[in-house]
Amino acid sequence: MSEKKVSVKVPDSKAILVQRTIRSGQSIQYPGHIVVLGDVNPGAEIVAGGNILVLGCLRGIAHAGAVGNEKAVVAAFRLEPTQLRIANHITRAPDGEKWAPRQPEVARIKNGVVVIEKLQSLEEHYLAFCQ
Amino acid sequence: MGEVLVITSGKGGVGKTTTTANIGTGLAALGYKVVMVDTDIGLRNLDVVMGLENRIVYDIVDVISGNCNHKKALIKDKRQEELYLLPASQTRDKSAVTQEQMKELCQTLKNEFDYVLIDCPAGIEGGFKNAIAGADKAIVVTTPEVSAVRDADRIIGLLEANEIKNPKLIINRIRPDMVKRGDMMDIEDMIEILAIDLLGVVPEDEMIVVSTNKGEPAVMDKTSKAGQAYRNISLRITGEAVPLMHLESHTGIMSKLRKLIGF
Amino acid sequence: MLQILQKIFGVNSPTASKVVAKERLRLVLLHDRTSIPPHVLNSLKGDLITCISKYLDIDERNLDVSLTNTDDSVALVANIPILKVKQYL
Repeated sequence: MSEKKVSVKVPDSKAILVQRTIRSGQSIQYPGHIVVLGDVNPGAEIVAGGNILVLGCLRGIAHAGAVGNEKAVVAAFRLEPTQLRIANHITRAPDGEKWAPRQPEVARIKNGVVVIEKLQSLEEHYLAFCQ
Repeated sequence: MGEVLVITSGKGGVGKTTTTANIGTGLAALGYKVVMVDTDIGLRNLDVVMGLENRIVYDIVDVISGNCNHKKALIKDKRQEELYLLPASQTRDKSAVTQEQMKELCQTLKNEFDYVLIDCPAGIEGGFKNAIAGADKAIVVTTPEVSAVRDADRIIGLLEANEIKNPKLIINRIRPDMVKRGDMMDIEDMIEILAIDLLGVVPEDEMIVVSTNKGEPAVMDKTSKAGQAYRNISLRITGEAVPLMHLESHTGIMSKLRKLIGF
Repeated sequence: MLQILQKIFGVNSPTASKVVAKERLRLVLLHDRTSIPPHVLNSLKGDLITCISKYLDIDERNLDVSLTNTDDSVALVANIPILKVKQYL
């Protein structure tokens, strides 16, 4: 009952749009990209084969490139995840540090580590999202 | 060979998770090797109380289903060297685990740790049965309320029916001022009703809320009364005889007068 | 006056809420602890019948066994209509 999985199999589509708040205990898994129009609360989990774009606040766990794609990115209006995973890399916020970004950010792997940058314009990251 | 202690209560919200976190930290601070297992699958909370929520990669369901080795799933505490957490799964439900599997897990952990603390979910259904399946001893947490004491009584009966003899009682969130006024059951009242041994009494303390906010168990806070109570409880678990702490901070003129008159 | 004095000296009057709580709890637990599941009550009924039938002829259909709560105690009440007393040689 507590388990809510949305795995839609649409072979000819590469992304799904989720238009709701993803709450604790809920998990969204999709082989392509995932776009969330809403918040991802702590305790919720989003696992995508491709990129993750959250048009809202990402406070739960996000795993992009879950099958090993190191080029996958995670972007959110407010990027404050409990834990962030890209391919086989796992990161979390440093202990005791307030981490409250005021602008949209994007996380990606650069030189083998996960880095977080300002998401200045979607255009700039267009290539990343198209991969 | 270690010991498996289940922390249970029947009623929700009486402080099982807080108690588990504090006893776990308290025992580890005394130098014991301790693992805390959250069995509240689908509603895990021990991780946030311990401030370890952002380190979870694998959980108890992964271990039990053979997805990963238990060593890989155990999360080391931030502060205590020999303290570990096995988190519950948040996206599964209680049916993901069976009593046999829990027994096996407890046996494995017992071989590696001095104390295995099981944080039990509220209720008396599957989750409770799983939590007590591998336990050697039980700690029953209650508060001085009619509902909590009634549920504690039910739990004590169920523990005894499951061959877990002599559970120990922790009375949580007691308010000395209300006890004094006669508006809260006192320790003797509850011991008399439940007829089990007392392990400790924890006073209501704002520091518990503060420490939960921060994800740091109050047991390490030397200024906290509840912290002191949990330190005493940890010592008693290891077999030391520690007298009950004095809950009243000061004796008022009225109680002195009362003693004088002989009430 | 007594109440005021009791309040001042902090002595528990019978109306202090903890006394009420304890009393209510005692009653509710009395009931909880003696609540017998229906199947157990049924097998108790069966055993009673076999036992009593050795000595008395009873009306099994109108037999009634139940638990009754009075104010401060629980009793097993059995209403067993007797047809006739068995004759002993």
